[in-house]
Amino acid sequence: MPNEGRSPYLPIPMHVLHAYYESTDNSLKTLELSFDDPQDAREFFAAFNPGQFCLLSVIGKGESALGVASAAWEGDFVRFTAQKLGSVTTALHALKPGDPVGMRGPLGNGFPLAEWKGKNLVIIGGGCAFSTLYALTKHLHHPSHRGDYGKLTVIYGTRTSGLCMYKQDIAAWHQRDDMEVHQAIDVPEQNWLHHVGYVPDVVKEVRPSPVNSVAVVCGPPIMTKFTLPALVELGFAPETIFTSLEKRMKCGVGKCGRCNLGPKYICKDGPVFSLAELNALPADL
Amino acid sequence: MNLILKKDHLNHLLNAWRQEYEVYAPQSLQNFTHFLPLQDGFELAFDKAHNTRIPPKALFLPTSEALLKFTRFGGYEEVPSETAPRLIFGIRPCDAHAMTMLDTVFEQERYTDPLWKARREATVVVGLGCHEPCQTGFCTTVGSGPFNHAGLDAILTDLGEIFLVETLTEKGEHLFTQLETASEDQSMHASEVQQAAAASMPIAFETEGLKQKLDQNFASPYWEEVSRSCLGCGVCTFLCPTCFCFDIVDEAQRGERVRNWDTCMFRTYSLEASGHNPRPSRVERTRQRLSHKYSYWLDQINQIGCTGCGRCVRYCPVGLDIRAMLRKAHQLPSEVLHA
Ligand SMILES: Cc1cc2nc3c(=O)[nH]c(=O)nc-3n(C[C@H](O)[C@H](O)[C@H](O)COP(=O)(O)OP(=O)(O)OC[C@H]3O[C@@H](n4cnc5c(N)ncnc54)[C@H](O)[C@@H]3O)c2cc1C
Ligand code: SF4
Ligand code: SF4
Ligand code: FES
Repeated sequence: MPNEGRSPYLPIPMHVLHAYYESTDNSLKTLELSFDDPQDAREFFAAFNPGQFCLLSVIGKGESALGVASAAWEGDFVRFTAQKLGSVTTALHALKPGDPVGMRGPLGNGFPLAEWKGKNLVIIGGGCAFSTLYALTKHLHHPSHRGDYGKLTVIYGTRTSGLCMYKQDIAAWHQRDDMEVHQAIDVPEQNWLHHVGYVPDVVKEVRPSPVNSVAVVCGPPIMTKFTLPALVELGFAPETIFTSLEKRMKCGVGKCGRCNLGPKYICKDGPVFSLAELNALPADL
Repeated sequence: MNLILKKDHLNHLLNAWRQEYEVYAPQSLQNFTHFLPLQDGFELAFDKAHNTRIPPKALFLPTSEALLKFTRFGGYEEVPSETAPRLIFGIRPCDAHAMTMLDTVFEQERYTDPLWKARREATVVVGLGCHEPCQTGFCTTVGSGPFNHAGLDAILTDLGEIFLVETLTEKGEHLFTQLETASEDQSMHASEVQQAAAASMPIAFETEGLKQKLDQNFASPYWEEVSRSCLGCGVCTFLCPTCFCFDIVDEAQRGERVRNWDTCMFRTYSLEASGHNPRPSRVERTRQRLSHKYSYWLDQINQIGCTGCGRCVRYCPVGLDIRAMLRKAHQLPSEVLHA
C-alpha cells in the first residue's frame, strides 16, 4: 500500500475478532483481525493481493512479518497463522478477542495472478508456510475467479496430521470436483488415508503436468530446496516455478536494509519470486 | 554564480545565518570533529580533519530516534517530523554525494520516509571542497571528486585569504546575496585549484569490471581471505556515509518504538527466529558489505555505493583497507559461476 504522506511505520489500528489454535500441539495459532476504522478496511482490500504479508505489532513487544491467510471475499477481516517462536509471536499467541493489535500492510508483491490467467495451477506447501497458499486457494475458489484458471492441484505436507492447518476447509476441498488435493505427513499414523513422505517425494509421485502450468512452492527452506529441482525435472521451466522467500525483517518497506537478497529486498520486491529470478540472484538465503 | 567570501567575514556570515537557521558546522569535541550546532563564541575545526568521524547522515538519520510513542491501553501515535530550517556548513563533497544516494532509499516513490524527507527539505547544504585531499580518501576512483557538486546547494573553494563560492541551487543563492561577484581571474584560479586537487589523487583501484568479478566469485575463498582479521565490530559500516541499515525495537519502559543504527556486520542482523542465519560468519557478512557497495548499488541506481570518503580505512581497528580488498578482487578469475 503506497503511503502517500502517511508514515510507513505507522500501524493500522486493529483488534482481535477470533483467536484459536490451529494445531493440536498449540504451536500454531490463528488470529482473525478486524479494522477499527472502516476506511482502513477499504484501503486495505483495494490494495490486497494473495501472497502479500503484514507486520503485526504487539505494542511494547515489537513486530513480526506474517503472511495473510484469508481471501478478500471472506469478509472485512484479515487472517494470520503464527508459529510461536520468539518474543513477538509469543505475545501474539497470548492475545484474546477484543485485544488491540497494530498491522502494517499489505506489504510485498504477492502472487502474479494476472500473469497466471488461463493456466493450470500446482500449489505446493509445507508446514506453516502454507498460510498464503491457503489464501491463494480460497481466492481462486471464488466463483468470479475460478473460471480464470485451469486445473487446480494442491499438495500439502506437514510433519504430523496434528500440524495440518485449516483442517475443516481442507477436508471439504477433497469433496470438490474442481480441484485435486494431496495431503502428506512425514511418518505413518493410524487412520491416515493420504500420502506418507516428504513433500518433494510426493511431488515426484503425483507428477503434476508442466503443460500450460505454473507451480508455486512455499515451505520450510529444506522442503523448497528439494522441491524446486523436482519440478524442474518434471519439465517445469524456471519462469513457471514460483516461491515465497523469508528473511529476517524490520521495516517491511525496503528501508532498513535487512532482508536483501543481492540488489532485491524481499519485503519490497518479493516475497514472491520465480525460479528464473532466483537463479539470477546470489545464493544468500 | 561565483562569489567571493573573505575568510575574516565568515564568522559574521555564519552568525547572520543563525538568525534564520540552526547552523551546523564542524567543531572539536573529545578529540574528534563533529557537526554541531553553532553556539555563541563558536570555534570551527576545519584544519584538523577533512570529514568528521561521524558522517552528517546522522543529522538526517539519527543514531537512535523514536518512530512511535505509545499511549495508554495499547495505543500509539506517530512522532511528528521536525521541520525547523537548518543549514549545514562545511560538508565535504563525498558526504554530500552520499546523501543523494540515501535519498533514493528514503524518498522512494512507493514508500517515503517522512522523517528523512522533512529533514532533507528543511536543510540547506553548503560544501567545502578539498583543495588538499586527505590520504585515505579515494573519491576520484569511484566517480566522485574533491569538488563534486552532488547534494550541495553551494560549494566553497579555499583560495588562501578568500573562499570562492559557487552557488548551485536557488536555496544556495539565497544564502550569499550580500557577497561581491568573483573576478574572472579568481574563478580561473579556483578551477585550477580544483583540477590540481583531483589530479593529485592516485587511482586506488580499477572499477571497470569489478562488479562482475564480485558477482562471479560469490562462492570464492577470496571472502574468507579478506575477512580473516575482521573483528566484526561494525565500525566500517556505522561510520560509512552510504550505509543506512537500522533496527526497530520497542522500548517498553520509555514507551517508544525506536529505530537504531544497525549493521550487516553483526551476527544478529540476519538471524531468524528459527535459528537459521543466512550470514552465519564474518565471511558472508564481509561479502555482503563489499557486494552491497560495489555490486548491488550498481544494479539499483547504476552508481557505486561508496563515495571514497576513506572512513572505513581510517577507523578500522585492525587496518582492513577496502582499497586493498578491491585490488585483490581484481585478480580473481572471471566467469566462475556462483554455486
Ligand atoms: C514474508 C514473511 C512471511 C512470514 N509469514 C509467516 C506466517 O505466516 N506465519 C508464521 O508463523 N511466521 C511467518 N514468518 C516468520 C515470522 O515473521 C517470524 O517467525 C517472527 O517474526 C519471529 O518473531 P519473534 O519475535 O517471535 O522471534 P524473535 O526471535 O524474538 O525475533 C525478533 C524479531 O526479529 C524479526 N524476525 C525474526 N525472525 C524472522 C523471520 N523469520 N522473518 C521475519 N522477521 C523475523 C522480527 O522482527 C522479530 O520480532 C514470515 C516471515 C516473512 C519474512
Ligand atoms: S565504503 Fe568506506 S570509503 Fe566508501 S563511503 Fe563507506 S566509509 Fe567511505
Ligand atoms: S571496521 Fe574493520 S574490524 Fe570492524 S567490522 Fe569493519 S572491517 Fe571488520
Ligand atoms: S525489512 Fe527492511 S528492507 Fe526489507
